[in-house]
This record gives sequence, structure tokens and C-alpha cells, in this order.
Amino acid sequence: MIAARRVAGKLGGLLLTLFLASLLVFFSRFLVPGDPVQFLLRGRKPSPEAVAEVTAMYGLDLPPWQQYLNWVTGVLHGDFGRSLQFRQDVTTVIGDRLPVTLMLVVMAGTMIAVVGIAAGALAAVSQGRALDRAVLIGLTILGAIPSFVGSIVLIAVFAVQLGWFPSFGAGEGFFDQLYHLVLPATALAIVFTVLVGKVTRSAMVEQLDREHVEVATSRGIRRGTVVRRHVFRNALWPILTVSGLLVAGLLVASSIVEAAFGLAGIGSLLVQSVDRLDFPVVQAIVLLIVTAFVLVNAVVDVLEPWIDPRTAAGAGAR
Amino acid sequence: MIRSTAPRSLALAAGIAASALALSACAPAAPADGPVEWELTETTADPSGDIDSFSWASYAEPFSLDYAYAFDYADNQVLANVCESLLRLNPDYTLGPGLAESWENPTPTTSVFTIRDGVTFHDGTPLTAADVVASLSRHLDPAVGSFWYSVYQNVVSIEQTGDREVTVTTAVPDVQFALSMGGSAGVIESAAALAAAGADYGNSTGGVNCTGPFELAEWKSGESITLTRYDDYWDPELAARAGEVEFLFMTDANARVNALKSGDVDGSWMIPPASYRQLQDSSDGDLYFGLTSAVSSLVVSDLEGPLGDLRVRKALLMALDRQGIVDAAAEGVGEVTDVLTTESVWGAADDATRTTAFDDIESYPYDVEAAKALVEEAGAAGGEIVIATAPLGPDVTMLAQATAAAAESIGLTATIETVTPGAYTALFSDPSAREGIDLFYTNWYLSSPDPLEMYSVLRTGEFSNYGGWSDPEFDEIVTAASGMKDAEERNAETAKAQQIANEQLPWLPIYTAPMSVFVGERITGVAPSIAFLYYPWAATVGAR
Repeated sequence: MIAARRVAGKLGGLLLTLFLASLLVFFSRFLVPGDPVQFLLRGRKPSPEAVAEVTAMYGLDLPPWQQYLNWVTGVLHGDFGRSLQFRQDVTTVIGDRLPVTLMLVVMAGTMIAVVGIAAGALAAVSQGRALDRAVLIGLTILGAIPSFVGSIVLIAVFAVQLGWFPSFGAGEGFFDQLYHLVLPATALAIVFTVLVGKVTRSAMVEQLDREHVEVATSRGIRRGTVVRRHVFRNALWPILTVSGLLVAGLLVASSIVEAAFGLAGIGSLLVQSVDRLDFPVVQAIVLLIVTAFVLVNAVVDVLEPWIDPRTAAGAGAR
Repeated sequence: MIRSTAPRSLALAAGIAASALALSACAPAAPADGPVEWELTETTADPSGDIDSFSWASYAEPFSLDYAYAFDYADNQVLANVCESLLRLNPDYTLGPGLAESWENPTPTTSVFTIRDGVTFHDGTPLTAADVVASLSRHLDPAVGSFWYSVYQNVVSIEQTGDREVTVTTAVPDVQFALSMGGSAGVIESAAALAAAGADYGNSTGGVNCTGPFELAEWKSGESITLTRYDDYWDPELAARAGEVEFLFMTDANARVNALKSGDVDGSWMIPPASYRQLQDSSDGDLYFGLTSAVSSLVVSDLEGPLGDLRVRKALLMALDRQGIVDAAAEGVGEVTDVLTTESVWGAADDATRTTAFDDIESYPYDVEAAKALVEEAGAAGGEIVIATAPLGPDVTMLAQATAAAAESIGLTATIETVTPGAYTALFSDPSAREGIDLFYTNWYLSSPDPLEMYSVLRTGEFSNYGGWSDPEFDEIVTAASGMKDAEERNAETAKAQQIANEQLPWLPIYTAPMSVFVGERITGVAPSIAFLYYPWAATVGAR
């Protein structure tokens, strides 16, 4: 009952957020200097009739609110309009590029979770000792490497010098794609791994000092079990919260990595489209990222009571 | 017909900042001793045989393969192998028969093309005069919004006037129309294919159906375009030596150079100058420099400001260390020039004409003291100028800084205004974007073997006469030349126009740099020339 009401409440909030986001995403384009029609003609000398025709073709002659209504109606039908730069349906343009980005984000996400949590947990259980310090210093150094620098170094070492991995492209077929995406996913994962590692460490350290951990330990339960059941499980909530936030970060940061590795994903497409005033594509991608972000966080929110029983109890008492 | 580097540099820009960093990190730093040595190459060694396939890196994905929008390096380098024009622009910039086996101007306002027999489109259907009329007429359709409209601005009718004959009539004498038919403005597509594809014509879904030595096999958007040999191609001279060509879009300059070095990609046009030395030393292939039609110059976009005084324009040009700019921006691969055209576009011009155009002109040697004196004489000391630039590439940035420094050195006050690449492109089309801007950089190339193409845009009131420069004598000469059928006569007049532009400096010519191409160790047979935009250059590439 509580759970159902909770989900319904979340859903309402989610729809409201998406609606507000759509307004922001659409109307912000009117704040950007530059005329989309001029872009369409890319600085060429058009005939005046062509300017009028092209303006009408893309509905740019309508008042902004009407353009918004047309756009939203289209979006609800899965139609994001036509790309100005590719002269193609936005859904086709994005659909062609989405799989690469999704795979990249999933691979990077897995790396982040595995390496970040492992490093954080390792540091936490060896708190104060040399290993802890070593992990912390290692994380701090990695955290200072921007994605584009990471990409350059990875390409220089593993693609050009050692020749172990390809330096560009996304490959064909699942396993070839996995292989092609190892370096880009690593480049993308570095900074976020540090974040997750540090959050994991501090959350677990906090739990380790808790009374119930001491009680469990004093009862003679094995250390490994205590860490798993009492420490890690309770520390999972902050880790998940951070991970939810990372999703949007990953999608946005992928643009840099995709450009460096010559991957045709939506990240590089976004950068390219902003540069070329390709509003329909920019709007679609931003809306997509906002939606992914809002959805992931809603899911994390809904999952909270299952992960952390105390939250459910608290909600019930309200 | 003519365009700026803006779109090209845009793509180059992405990786350039990072590339300097990376190259110094991963390669043994090349000693930066003096400029790169270079010479012009007309053609590379003939292939030893056919090759199954080769790959080619492009700095960007084509926006479209619709010839009406093929207006940039990325689009045209692919399209040139797939779609053919009425005339063919050869690597040496001569114009020969293409899908039209002959053409003439019976009067200065009519161009008559005789359409070749025995040509088929990639779907097997034969080429007809109706296809020619349909293809050319698209440029007049406002709904298409053709980028090549300026070629067609004087056209009043395009009609089939015989079984295999098409006649184009212009409102005013315009012999340049026919000369432009070797470029994308003259591409012929099947009328049936145009009708069938509709709005998707030329994009990655709709594709194209033309007559070139290669046909479009696959377009993986964002990634690659694959062409395969068209076995029923009409011209045995240019039958493709390769079974397949794969164009890979590599927007990151560093990634592109890495792929060339590692042999992952067989070749690429337009190598970032920063990696000339590295690729020249590479044992994995050869770097060549070929014919160009482009001149890098500074457009004077405000003649109301200090640069309205000719003495100040001259002074600024003299205060620019142009050889230093060539060394810094192009690794020394290029030549300082005082005129806005390269010799390559002067085709059959005779010695006398060439002397008028390239020798009997004013030169502007680097002389800061003389320049300072000119500014003082003009009473322009302390005058303020604004130079627009954008993060497009090292050449653009460097030139803006060098120009600002030069202006300051002669007593002017210079401000660099950095705008986004998109806003920079707008400088070339939108007068309001040029407000408050005195100077901006362009690398302007010609698409026809006719220098008049350059000077016709500098006439009073022309779209690309960005500063609103006006010289009645110049206008008269250029307009008269536009109606001259005889190339010799026309060139002689154009040479006079070149002299006036050289003397009046509506744009400040800086330098001209050759077209670069890298060819990997597997392949050979490419003709290094900017004609790769319109000539089926990939057809002659085979096994080394």
C-alpha cells in the first residue's frame, strides 16, 4: 500500500519534471543567438524564395508556443522532427547512434561499480593502514585526470604503441564492439570510479564505527560476514544515490570520449549538433538525457525501502 | 561555387588542441628546426594492379550526398566518386567532357550541352536528357534551397532542345555557368530516383543513384560510407581499380593521424599541418602536396572604419610577417601571395596575361616602419579595429593573433573577438553578424578553372562582397568579362581585375597552401589536387 502510493507519487513528480524539462529544453533555443535557417543554408547565398520555403518547411515561421505544441505532440508520437544538418528524421539520426552510447555507458558503469566499490571497500576495511592510504592516493591521482587526457594517454599507449586495442570506431558484432569499447569505456570510467570509490569508503567507514557493528563483532560473528551484512548493506544506499547521479554525468561525459575515439554516439552527436544549431537534435538528446536521469533516480528512490529497511520504517511512521 | 574554410576548419578544430599535447606525449618529439620541406606532386605512381578495397579517413561526415547541398570537403570528396557532372574537372584544373560529350555557348546567354549516349545509372537505367533537365532544375526550386543557387542566379530556363540536347538560357551573358558544370552544380541524377526518394534523397536513408565509377553501398551514419565498384561504368579510362572504398569519419584530428600512422586507415586528404613532419618521416606511407585553388586571406568587412583608408589596408598588410605566418600556421608549407587567385585556375592563359596577373602587380613586403608611416600619413593612428576569430583551428587562431599584433605595431588598436564556429560561419552570410567586425579570415577556393569566379563576387552589391567595397572600373571589367566566350580574351580582362584588387585590397591576401594527402603503404595512384572535390579520384587508386 505504502509502496504503491509511493510509486504513484513518484510518477506524478516525474511527469511534472519531464513537462518542465520539455519547456526548458524547447524554449532555451530561442535564447541562443543564431538563425536556424541561416544554418540550413550554411552561409550560402540563397534565393529569397528559398529562405521563405525552408522556414515554412521546418515550421520556423510559426509563433514559438505553436512550435512548442507541434514539437510536444510530435514527441508524444515518437516524432522528434527533422535534423537540420542531416536532413533526416531525428529518430533515425539518434536511433543510429544510441546503441553505441548505451553500450559504452553500460560498460563504463560496470567498471565504475566493480572497481569503485572494490577499491572503496578495500580502503574502508583497512582504514588507517598503509593500504587505505595507497588506495586513497591512487584514487586522488586518477580523479585529477580529465576524460580527454585519459583518452589521449590510453590511445597513445594501448592503441598506437602496444597495438593491443583499436584506436577508433565501434566495431561490428557484439564481441568486436566490446573489444573496441574497452579503451573508451575505461577513459569514461576513470573519474567516476574515483567518485564511487570515495563514497563507498566513507559510507563504509561510517558504518564500521556504528554500534550495531561493534555489537555484531563482539558477538563473535566473523569479520567478513559483518562487513557484508551489516556494513556494506547499510552503506549501499549512499553508493546507489551517487550512482543514480552518475548516469546523467556519464551520458554527458561520453561526448568527449566519443569524439576522441571516433565513436558515433549521441554524446558526440550532441556536441556537433549544438555547434551547428541543429535544434531538433539537441532538444531530443537533452530530453533523452533528462528523462534517463529522472527515471534512474526515481527507480533508486523507489528501491530505497528495499535496500534500507530503516527508510521504510521512517516513511511508515510519518 | 566558392566557400570559406569555416565548415572545414570546424571539424579540424575538435582534435587540434588535443593533438599537440598528444603528439608530444606519444611520439619522440620531432626537432622543430625550420619549416617542413615540400614540393608539388602531380600524380603518384601507377598502381601495380587492382585492389579489393581500401579505407580513407574523412575529417567529418557528409551532411548529405544530395549534390544540391554538397558544398564542402566532406560531402564532395565522397560524392565525386559516385555522382558525375555534365563536365569533368581534371586534377590539373582543366575542364573536359563529362556526361555532356560536348558543350558550347552559341550566344553569351545560352549554353548547349550534348548528352553522352550509352551511360547508365547505378540501377541500370540509361541516362537521358530528361534526367539532365530534372537534375539541373532542382537548383531553381525554392523548396530544395540549393547551396549552388549562385551558379543558377541568372538562369531563366533549362530545356530539352533535342533528343540528346539540353539548353540553359540566362537572363544576362553568363559564360561562367557552363564553366561551373564541372562541379557539384552540374551533377546529374536519375529523375526517377529523385522522385522516388523525395525529401530523403541524398541522406543516409535515401541514398543516391548516379553514374560514377563507384556506387553507394552502405552509409552507417556517424561512422562510415562504403562505395563499391560499378561494373557497367561508361568510361574505361576511369573504371575503378578498387572493388570497394570505405570512408571513415574521424572528427578528431589526433585520432585520424594515429590511424594513418598505425595503418588502420590507408589514406586521407587534408592532413593537419602539425603532423606533416611526423607523417613525412613515417615509413607507413607517403605525404604529398598537390595543386590548390585556395588563397588564405583577411576579408575587410568594414570600410567605414580605419580600414576604409587604402593606406591603412596597405599598411596592415605590410606589417604582417606573412612568411612567419606560413611557417607557424602551415609548418612552412605554402607561399605568401599578393593576389586572391592561384595560378592553377588560370588554365590556358597566355604568358602576357599571366605577367599582367602575377608580375605587374604591387607586392607588399614586410616593412613595419614604412607601414607605420602610412598609418600616420592617413591620420589613422589610434584607430580601433576588431578581428573576428573562432576556435576553428591553429591557422585561424594564429592569424588573428598575428593580425592583432601587426595592427598594434603600426599604431592601431586591435581587439580580437572570439565567436563560436557557428557564429563565424554566419559572418559569411548574415550582414548583421558582421556588424562591428573589421576583419575576418577565410580560405577561399574556386570550383571552376576560371579566375573570374573569384572576382565576380567582389563586384558592387554582390553577396560575398562583405565589406561593401565598390570600384566602378572593376565592376565594368568583370561584368564585361562574364560575357566573353573566348577564354583568352576573358582571362586578359580578369587579369586587369586582379590588378585592381591587388592595388585596392578589398581583401588582404596572405598565403596559399597546397592540398595535402597521405597515402598508406598498400595503395597508390591518387592525383594530389583540390580537384578531388569533383573528380573521381578514388577510381585510379589501386595496389602499390
